[in-house]
Amino acid sequence: MTPLRIALPKGRMMDEALRLFEAMGAVIDPAARDTRRLILPSADGRFEFLPVKSGDVPVYVEAGVADAGVAGMDVLEEAQPDVLRPLDLGFGGCVLAVAAPEGAAYPRLAGGGIPRVATKYVESARRFFGARGVQVELIRISGSVELAPLLGLSDWIVDLVQTGRTLAENGLVVVDEVSPSSARLIVNRASHKLRLEDHQRLIADLAAARERLGRS
Amino acid sequence: MPVSRIQQVPPGSLDLLAGDVRRRRSVQRAWFALAEAGGYQEVIPPTFEYEEVFTRSAGPELASRLIRFVDRDGALVALRADFTSSIARMVATRLAGAPLPLRLAYAGKVYRQEPEGVGRRREIFQLGAELIGDASAQADVEALRLVITLARELGIGEFQINLGDIRFIRPLLQGLAPEQAEALRTAIDRKDRAALAAGAREIGAPAAVARALVELPELIGRGDVLGRARSLATGAEAEAAIERLREVDALLTDDERRHVVYDLGEIRGLGYYTGIQFELFVAGVGRAVGYGGRYDGLLALYGADRPAVGFALETDALADLLAEVPA
Repeated sequence: MTPLRIALPKGRMMDEALRLFEAMGAVIDPAARDTRRLILPSADGRFEFLPVKSGDVPVYVEAGVADAGVAGMDVLEEAQPDVLRPLDLGFGGCVLAVAAPEGAAYPRLAGGGIPRVATKYVESARRFFGARGVQVELIRISGSVELAPLLGLSDWIVDLVQTGRTLAENGLVVVDEVSPSSARLIVNRASHKLRLEDHQRLIADLAAARERLGRS
Repeated sequence: MPVSRIQQVPPGSLDLLAGDVRRRRSVQRAWFALAEAGGYQEVIPPTFEYEEVFTRSAGPELASRLIRFVDRDGALVALRADFTSSIARMVATRLAGAPLPLRLAYAGKVYRQEPEGVGRRREIFQLGAELIGDASAQADVEALRLVITLARELGIGEFQINLGDIRFIRPLLQGLAPEQAEALRTAIDRKDRAALAAGAREIGAPAAVARALVELPELIGRGDVLGRARSLATGAEAEAAIERLREVDALLTDDERRHVVYDLGEIRGLGYYTGIQFELFVAGVGRAVGYGGRYDGLLALYGADRPAVGFALETDALADLLAEVPA
């Protein structure tokens, strides 16, 4: 049996995803675990895990290089990949939010003018402010977004908020919510058609594992 | 001005060198030999058309991907984005008096905007056929049979046609506010059962409709799926869809049926499909390499109401699958 190749976002989300796979009996082959191999087979031969940067997961899945993957809603909303999204995996819960320095005016600047917004999620922010009729200038940056207002690069930011601690440390507060975000199973469209039974089993097993872990 | 522009082509376009061309020609030769044997005559629609030919026919998705420019008189014209729309216009006007059924075949490029950096071309070769003036299941099968026969003649080992009928889904979305219908379409398209269940609750769908919506992602498989779908059908239109698919199934040979998977939960097709619709998948390619279906309402848009069925296959993808470069 050819294993299903699953793209996983490196980092905390990958650990949580692997916990789900473990709960359904698919653990990474111990022989491969501590090597520098780029593709990690599961011991039961059912899967191959492909750890990649979170933003690249949809790219691999849409192209069909990976049969399925795990991606946050934030990444999916930003990239809008043409993939199936059959299952909410129930972890990685956070909110894509607008944050501003404490006491700052929102959604209009105190002195008028066009607000500048720094974010990694330019497309999501564009859609959000567009739908609200708020005109902003978007600045794409790729890390430490919460520094932008502090340094005067922007008035507000749009970023993922989990606990709000990083925001608070930088004197920022959430002023608006763009969309909730959690981890999703995404599936390549052609692979889903051509390996239907494998995918149906994967979806059912992950849903069952999610329920089991959710209860414990 | 970037000095190097004269040495480059714009993103999404490309030169085809001798080997690439031989592969494509070889696919096209096999196609026209097959088409002519079936009584199909080649037509060549213009490279650009008034944009309405595409915007009014195929739906907002294609309309948003047209490559347009302003003509001398200020009219907006678009590069050919879809052969079927052009040929429907051609048949409804130039061939309005022609005896039916009409069998037309084509091969050439279509042009569509694509985002940069995702590895998609803005000009691709397609080939395909349209059978106009025949509303029967036999006509549907004739279209499917051409696809299957061509795939076989090209030596493509593993391929699969996913076949559905839009009339099964359409009644489920009827009478909804546009945002509600759009949200459900998105959930159907993503095979997201949780979102379908939530959507059904939100619109206050009757139990039968809610059940059908939630089951849509699972209505995929061999012939037995038609039985399951029949028990979920909500009304005459959905029942007609299943009836037609059963007729098609009965007309296929065992050898052809091997390649057909019934897939009632697919709404990918262009906006003009009114009956059966299908996609062609090939092992090792991460997307559909062909699509087709019945479009009985399309020609009426151009002034001549005729039933029709047809398909387009991606010549480039088929050429890449050829085992060896033909001499």
